[in-house]
Amino acid sequence: MQLSHRTIMQMGRYREMNLAGVAPDTLLQLYRQMLRLRRTEEAMLREYHPADEMRCPIHFCIGQESVPAALSLLVQRDDFMFSHHRSHGYFFAKNSPLRELFAEIYGKATGASGGKAGSQDISHSETHFYSGAILAGAVSIAVGAAFGFKHRQTRQIAISGFGEGCTDEGAFWEAMNYAGKQKLPVLFVCENNRYATFSDQLKRQANDNVSERVRPFGVRATPIFGNDSVLAYRTLGAEIERLRNGDGPALVEAYTYRWNSHVGPEDDGANAYRTAEEMQFWKDNCPISLLGEKLRGTGHLSDALNARYEAEIGDEIAANFKFAKESPFPTDTNWRRMNYDDASPVADKLLGTIAGGSAFDQYQAEAKLGPY
Amino acid sequence: MSRQLSYAKAILEATDQAMSLSPDVVVLGQLVDTKSGIFGTTTGLVDKHGPDRVQDFPVAENLMTATAMGAALTGLRPVLCHQRLDFMVYSLDAIVNWLGLWRFKSNMKSGMPVTIRTIVGKGWGQGPQHSKNLQAWFAHIPGLRVAVPSTAYDAKGLLLEAIFGETPTLFVEGRGLYSMTDDVPEKPYRVRFGQAAIRREGRDATIVAVGMMVPLALRAAAMLEKENISVEVIDPRTIAPLDRKTICDSAFKTRRLVVADPTWQSFGSAAEIITCVAENLGDKLKAKPIRVTLPDSHTPMSSALETEYYPDENDIVAAVRQTLA
Repeated sequence: MQLSHRTIMQMGRYREMNLAGVAPDTLLQLYRQMLRLRRTEEAMLREYHPADEMRCPIHFCIGQESVPAALSLLVQRDDFMFSHHRSHGYFFAKNSPLRELFAEIYGKATGASGGKAGSQDISHSETHFYSGAILAGAVSIAVGAAFGFKHRQTRQIAISGFGEGCTDEGAFWEAMNYAGKQKLPVLFVCENNRYATFSDQLKRQANDNVSERVRPFGVRATPIFGNDSVLAYRTLGAEIERLRNGDGPALVEAYTYRWNSHVGPEDDGANAYRTAEEMQFWKDNCPISLLGEKLRGTGHLSDALNARYEAEIGDEIAANFKFAKESPFPTDTNWRRMNYDDASPVADKLLGTIAGGSAFDQYQAEAKLGPY
Repeated sequence: MSRQLSYAKAILEATDQAMSLSPDVVVLGQLVDTKSGIFGTTTGLVDKHGPDRVQDFPVAENLMTATAMGAALTGLRPVLCHQRLDFMVYSLDAIVNWLGLWRFKSNMKSGMPVTIRTIVGKGWGQGPQHSKNLQAWFAHIPGLRVAVPSTAYDAKGLLLEAIFGETPTLFVEGRGLYSMTDDVPEKPYRVRFGQAAIRREGRDATIVAVGMMVPLALRAAAMLEKENISVEVIDPRTIAPLDRKTICDSAFKTRRLVVADPTWQSFGSAAEIITCVAENLGDKLKAKPIRVTLPDSHTPMSSALETEYYPDENDIVAAVRQTLA
């Protein structure tokens, strides 16, 4: 049976989490990373109003911690990560410095993008993290990075995170076609959270999955219950290993759910696009609780350890807020320099300069175009 | 020793030399690896530099630009080729939403050395979907450079400068210019962006001519010389950045301005050029400036109408006379 939001809703509480083959230390890290992302997002959400110091749209990812946490344990520093506008999870997944995320959202000079981009356009070049709000555009650029890696014969990979809404766009399918044809080292991570803003996938597409349709393009696809973080870790890890060995591309479709509104902390329930029953189902299957209960059952997670994690994470978040709030606003208004790089060190090195001009003869006939 | 080379061959030579100078240069485009090679501008590159560096691309223009961007992030310097600018319009998302603002958005930490060659057709019934010149669109976008070479010399120098620069470049080629020859040095050399060329010096009026209008403007100047009218012809060579100083200096000298631009009139590059002169020395001009452009209409196929549609040297001569009347 094809996994989909409809079939998942029929299963009740998820009971299939299997910890076999993953070291306890890794499982605890996975748990801690999810908790860290959750608490970070919750803190931002609380602080958003009425302070109104984070003056940009934020698309919170509470409920979708599993995939970013798993990726954060699997990516290498020189891998490239491309995200959509719901970017915090992927910024986190690339292990980019969280305090620069905080400062960016506060519009400060110390932000990852110097306060120019905000939550939905943030990038951090030093850790090769890039995002943007024009969905399939970022998927396409990830394919280009993979093209570069293949051309250079490195073992780097490109990771492209997106939601199922992105697959409405033609650019997405251009990317699938080329990645499949060229066997590029790119991992497509589709977090299928069912809704593009308020629009159900089945209002927009004939099928409520992405996996079935990418396979004919030569893209290997694995649908999973995305809130099983151990399954996500295992699946993503196996695909990343295959990609590094030249066996690409791959897509992992992780079914998951955002708990909050499409954007911002306000409730968007007035649009009546999802049911209370559905929201309850996904809260019952919270990725953090699912793994937490398992780890308590095996004795690896105690109340004391959990409290220690909470305290450490709380301290980190407080320090990040402090950094963001105390950082200066940007003051440079050299608009030209922001947009154009007038230096050309490579041209300076490789090209000679020849003064003087040409002896252009204006009486020559222009080219006659022939039959195309 | 001077050496004559056609505009098309100059583009081929620049690309070939760029690929020899740096292994980072790759060429992507539909049919770039075929013998016909984009009207001869890529012919033979695949044999010399190999199929990894000269790659045919699916008919997926948006992805092509995005692929170049991602590849540039890994250190490559891609050169894209579009047989017609009209086809490139599919890649507007990649160009407008991503390429042009990459440097800005990354807080100047990340560059995008991508060169997009794009060809504007003219004549022999190219019609409304093979002849559009949308150069002004791209000059409007911050973060993009737009080259409009009119000579083989400039085509080579500007293409090398574009490929080895750090700001993404739209390289707009006039198909009509492909067979025109010029004195082109063999060695790689640079033509800088934002430096207009004074194609011909004169006293009585200034013609700023862009791209395919440059040879026409020079012919017009030669015709007017016979009437003892001395015309200065300025070729901006790049419209982004635009060498406003050279244009204004010439207009200040002659006090009369005609702008010949091979694009639609309204909101086009001619409007920007006249604006920059008006803002700087509007009250110094002795006559109202005049635009010689395409009409605000799509291109007709029929040769009978094409002749009417495209301005020629006589239209430029008439415009200059009007400024002197």
